Amino acid sequence: MGDAPENRREEFEREAIPHLDAVYGLALRLTGGDDARSEDLVQESFLKAWRSWDRFEIGTNCRAWLLTILRNTFLNEARRDRAHGDEVAFDEVAERPSLPALYEADPEGRVLDRILGAEIARAIEELPGVFRVPLVLGDVEGLGYQEIAEELGVPVGTVKSRIFRGRRRLQERLYRHAVEMGYLE
Amino acid sequence: MSEQRGTRRDDGPPRKPDEATCEEALAVVYEFLDGELDPECGERVRRHLERCRRCWPYFDFERHFLDGLHETAGEGTASPDLVRRVRALLDDA
Repeated sequence: MGDAPENRREEFEREAIPHLDAVYGLALRLTGGDDARSEDLVQESFLKAWRSWDRFEIGTNCRAWLLTILRNTFLNEARRDRAHGDEVAFDEVAERPSLPALYEADPEGRVLDRILGAEIARAIEELPGVFRVPLVLGDVEGLGYQEIAEELGVPVGTVKSRIFRGRRRLQERLYRHAVEMGYLE
Repeated sequence: MSEQRGTRRDDGPPRKPDEATCEEALAVVYEFLDGELDPECGERVRRHLERCRRCWPYFDFERHFLDGLHETAGEGTASPDLVRRVRALLDDA
């Protein structure tokens, strides 16, 4: 690139800084709503991004690039701390294919629409890390099962099972919330 | 899986051999909706859904749930203080 430093800074300001909210949002979901840790992760990720800014090609997807840096930063840290994977001992046997209570109570999803927004973010943050991390990588970041398995160093079957159970837990949480709010009996 | 298990329904015609059973379809609901099933299995589930009045609404509900999850799950608002600190970091780097 060889741009003057001030151009480089302007470019970064224009291309990268607008994605701060998205990067912070991902950090919050991955850490389970830990503000302080999320802010640290965001700062570390933006510093890394800034240091390798010369390698970023303007015009490609900057948001995706930043989210990947955040994700890798989080996962490296988590691997070091073993903060995920050991939190809950549970069997990996596939869940019995029973229907979720939320569906039985609200088959058309009308109540679901009213409670999704903020409540789902909270519900994700409350999930134990073993379920939360693969679910966030899949449902927030859009990674496939194989990619998630590679990122986490676990078999694809484990990813499937955790995503399944994570989503079911979210539905259970949303169901309880809907009952508490009086939307459902 | 036994061909007979979970196949009995009161509300539909007998299952074709190239169609998943209710139990098979329910077991892979997320793999199906996530586009992670191999094409042959995906096709068997699709055929099942075209005919099963019990499974179709459920799959539709899950699709709706996942759409909502994908749309809203990534939201976050960085505080002005965080934005300031990030900028300060860049200036010092």
